[in-house]
Amino acid sequence: MTPQSTKTDAPRTPEVTIPPADHLVGKNCKRVDGREKVTGLAMYGADLFPQAADLFAKVVRSEEAHADIVKIDTSAALAVGGVLGVYTHADVGGTNIHGLIRRDHPALAEKRVRYRGDAIAVVVAESERSAEAARDRVHVEYSPLPVVATMEEALSDGAPRLYPEGNIMGDKRIRRGDVDAALAAAHCVVTDTFHTQTVDHAFLDVEAGTGIWDGHTLTLNAPGQWVHEERRLIALALGIPVEQVRIIQPVTGGAFGGREDISIQIYLGLAALKHPGKTIGLRYDRAESMRARHKRHALKIEYTLAADREGTLTAARITVHSDEGAYASTGIAVMRKAASHATGPYRVPAIEVDVYGVHTNNNPTGAMRGFGACQMAIAYEGMMDRLADALEMDRVALRKRNMIVPGDPVTTGQRIDNASVHECLDAALAKFNERPYPGNDGLPPHLRRGWGMSAICFGLGYGDGFPDCSRARVEINPDGGATVYTGGVEVGQGLLNTMMQIAGEELGLPFEKMHVVAADTELTDESGSSSATRQTYFTGNAVRIAASELREQILDVAGKWLNVHPHEVTLQQGWAFETANDANRVSMARLYDEGLARGYSFKATGLFKPRTVPEVHGTGQSPRAFITYLFGAHVSQVLVDIETGEVKVERHIAAHDVGKAINPQSVEGQIVGGVAQGLGMALMEEVVYKKGRILNAGFTDYIIPTIKDLPPVEAIIIEHDDPGGPFGAHGVGEPPLIGAVPAILSAIYDATGVAPDTLPVTPERMWRLLRMRDGVPVPV
Amino acid sequence: MFHQPVDIETALRLRGERPDATVVNGCTDVSVARNHGMLHPREVIDLSRIASLKTIEHDGDNLLIGAGATFAQLGKCHLKALREAALSVAGPAIRNQGTIGGNLVTASPAGDGCVALLAMGGDVELASAARGSRWVDVRAFFLGYRKTELAGDELVTRVRVPYNPVTRWYKIGKRGAVNISLVCAAVARRTDGSFGLAYGCVGPIPLFAPKAERVLARGPLTDALIAEAADVVESEVAPIDDHRGSADYRRAMCRTLTTRLLADIAKNGDQGDADAFSAGAAA
Repeated sequence: MTPQSTKTDAPRTPEVTIPPADHLVGKNCKRVDGREKVTGLAMYGADLFPQAADLFAKVVRSEEAHADIVKIDTSAALAVGGVLGVYTHADVGGTNIHGLIRRDHPALAEKRVRYRGDAIAVVVAESERSAEAARDRVHVEYSPLPVVATMEEALSDGAPRLYPEGNIMGDKRIRRGDVDAALAAAHCVVTDTFHTQTVDHAFLDVEAGTGIWDGHTLTLNAPGQWVHEERRLIALALGIPVEQVRIIQPVTGGAFGGREDISIQIYLGLAALKHPGKTIGLRYDRAESMRARHKRHALKIEYTLAADREGTLTAARITVHSDEGAYASTGIAVMRKAASHATGPYRVPAIEVDVYGVHTNNNPTGAMRGFGACQMAIAYEGMMDRLADALEMDRVALRKRNMIVPGDPVTTGQRIDNASVHECLDAALAKFNERPYPGNDGLPPHLRRGWGMSAICFGLGYGDGFPDCSRARVEINPDGGATVYTGGVEVGQGLLNTMMQIAGEELGLPFEKMHVVAADTELTDESGSSSATRQTYFTGNAVRIAASELREQILDVAGKWLNVHPHEVTLQQGWAFETANDANRVSMARLYDEGLARGYSFKATGLFKPRTVPEVHGTGQSPRAFITYLFGAHVSQVLVDIETGEVKVERHIAAHDVGKAINPQSVEGQIVGGVAQGLGMALMEEVVYKKGRILNAGFTDYIIPTIKDLPPVEAIIIEHDDPGGPFGAHGVGEPPLIGAVPAILSAIYDATGVAPDTLPVTPERMWRLLRMRDGVPVPV
Repeated sequence: MFHQPVDIETALRLRGERPDATVVNGCTDVSVARNHGMLHPREVIDLSRIASLKTIEHDGDNLLIGAGATFAQLGKCHLKALREAALSVAGPAIRNQGTIGGNLVTASPAGDGCVALLAMGGDVELASAARGSRWVDVRAFFLGYRKTELAGDELVTRVRVPYNPVTRWYKIGKRGAVNISLVCAAVARRTDGSFGLAYGCVGPIPLFAPKAERVLARGPLTDALIAEAADVVESEVAPIDDHRGSADYRRAMCRTLTTRLLADIAKNGDQGDADAFSAGAAA
């Protein structure tokens, strides 16, 4: 059959000049969502109501950190005017359980509450005010159990058990080489214990969204980080078929891991199922958001590091206890990431790591930017500074002596081909030395200046054999542009642009012709979570695979149109032309019609599913624990007021090998944001519990940095093509935070001679450390 | 009911008639209390539209500050402690709203403006429709935790502070802005040579330190005298442990800041700058 061509009346002579090639990869294309966000037009979850909601839901939460539920009395709540229903576990049709890795968290508690934030009931009313009033009138009768407030309490003899099997949630181990022998033979052994704190994600956009059940489909407009997995969890918990759940991600203001666990979705779904045809609105306020959500794990890290006379590392023995809070969340994976990153970017021949997860009656702890690797960097970099002191060696020299080079193994035994940590540190130091270091000359006596550094590595993706894949679809549009469909969630990091730019580059289209549809389970295929620094690499690859298949379709059609072989065709700026003669050309819009007429779909899908290898049980070793590794190095300069303990970061330099910056401005944004968040973790942020109650559930007392606290961050983007990444890119999400914290601590050590071991280094903590150094008794 | 009078007479009459109404003058404290469910105002009298309360004037000897003067306005004041205290409050948006009158009546121990006023000394004008106005020494204004001399039918209308004291201010918080004091201190040397010392977050109300001030009155301002005064300050303040900081730290900081601020006055008079980091800030 001869295809019917649309070519007959097409002009062969060009009316316009083809603009020069414009590579979208590496270009600062304006954020496709930028204008709407800065002008306030973007519809975040909380913007979806009150207009869009018919009814309003509120969640009743436990006032006890640990208790048996004796009785839930909803009668007073039901008597509140405008209240349409109060629902408990008995009203949930499915398993009523969620949890990303281990499903152990009741959506609505039935018999027992394990933290002061556990949900017990959902109220639905005609107004938000009525819902709030009714929420406060649900009477829950508790039989209180002893509260396990700290890891020490959880591990003590006779401690109350949160679960029948005890308070140890699990463990992760690394065993390599003979640590005992290496320690015995070592020239120098240093030991210290680090305490990292509980941190909140503090994203701007608190949990909010809408849900409706139309009798066939439950549609939720609710922010998460992995819409397809959330759909499965919601369907299971509520007992409806997964294909009857649709999740649409509203515009989302930050996540940082804080949206990985289920938040409002099941409650919205339950309320919607009970009130068919009505749009339900649910939003948390900041206090509820902080009370309900999981947190970053607080870790106690006991670290012993040994070296020979020249400063070559010989052994590390590390014991970690991790406050898992009340439920598993992603804790077991965080424990593994802590173990697998325990010695960072350094060669250590003998390693022993034991990580224990410990349940307490604090908030569950789970994913947060850095995911266990962040806390370990504080320890291994802190130990490098202490070791340098003990050996009377230069801090940079000690690091460089031990940093891996291509082919060396990291903690898991995985040999790293793209180890660029030397270059990162050299680049950061060179930038630092571009300006003379002012030192301590001329400072008033109460001020001390210092500088410090960090060198870090980070395994990208879920790793350890956990199925990790992305799918994407790209379609040519009738106007000759293209649309990328991805299940990936834009949470502010720049995913939309990244995917548009990758596809546009492959197809030779200008950015203006690119469109994107993301994170709608009805319209997009699964792209995994926006976490683990994985979207650019994983979904980016899937998009590139789809786009390159489309490119082949276009080249075929264009070759026929232009009467040349497909490999003689160039795609540029929305045109296809004969490479040797650009007067022989055709626009993409016209090619679209031609292609359809010739039976081409102009649609393509891409699947990227690389394999990693599970750890060997007991040794934690794996030849390919992670698909690829990222490296970075920071230099920080601080000023410390040794009388008040105040610390000011004066300069901060962050160098990161990102493979290839798809959008350099977005990459720089990720680096600056990571440093800001790291500064907060180093100096300010801490969730304070008292018997399981958060004392600072709000921004009055949960202190995050302001613009006045952050120096201009000097970001250095290093680009070494990652052979497995799209256009050589790998990712940048988490490493900037991981590098920032230890560099600031290192600078404080340099300034004061006191090495902080407990975070955050608030003015008072700094003051106490200095008093102890000076031998002044400090009441605890 | 929401009342927004534009002249002081109407405001005073409303106040007299409606003793249960909540008075706001910037509403930066009341909004937070309401959001946290600690306050449920049914009736509000808003003073922020009364132009006559917004003026800052001087008569040569004294600065007369309208109760509605915002922290943004006070951020341009020539008195260093008051200016820096005002600029240490929250961020620009809140400073455009919050007022010195509101700061006084809220009477928080962390009231930065109150601490600056206590160090400089001065009077607060309280007015009522029925009884006219009276001036109360600012040091007699704070009676207890969030309790003041203000009667149920009265409004704070003006504050009067001496025009020419040499002052210093320092606030320790956990970050560079939008920052509740962990502890703050203001010191003033008045034109008659007497000293005022005041502290925030070290007692149930903004505190001043009369015993230490008497030590300083012996003059001259030597290192030894400063050290002696700082010793006395430690015994005069009454901080507690809370989730923001410990009593020990706060007490120690009162000593540190007293020493630092007085030493700066001794050395630099009205020229100095006690900001910890500006002195050493990198280029």
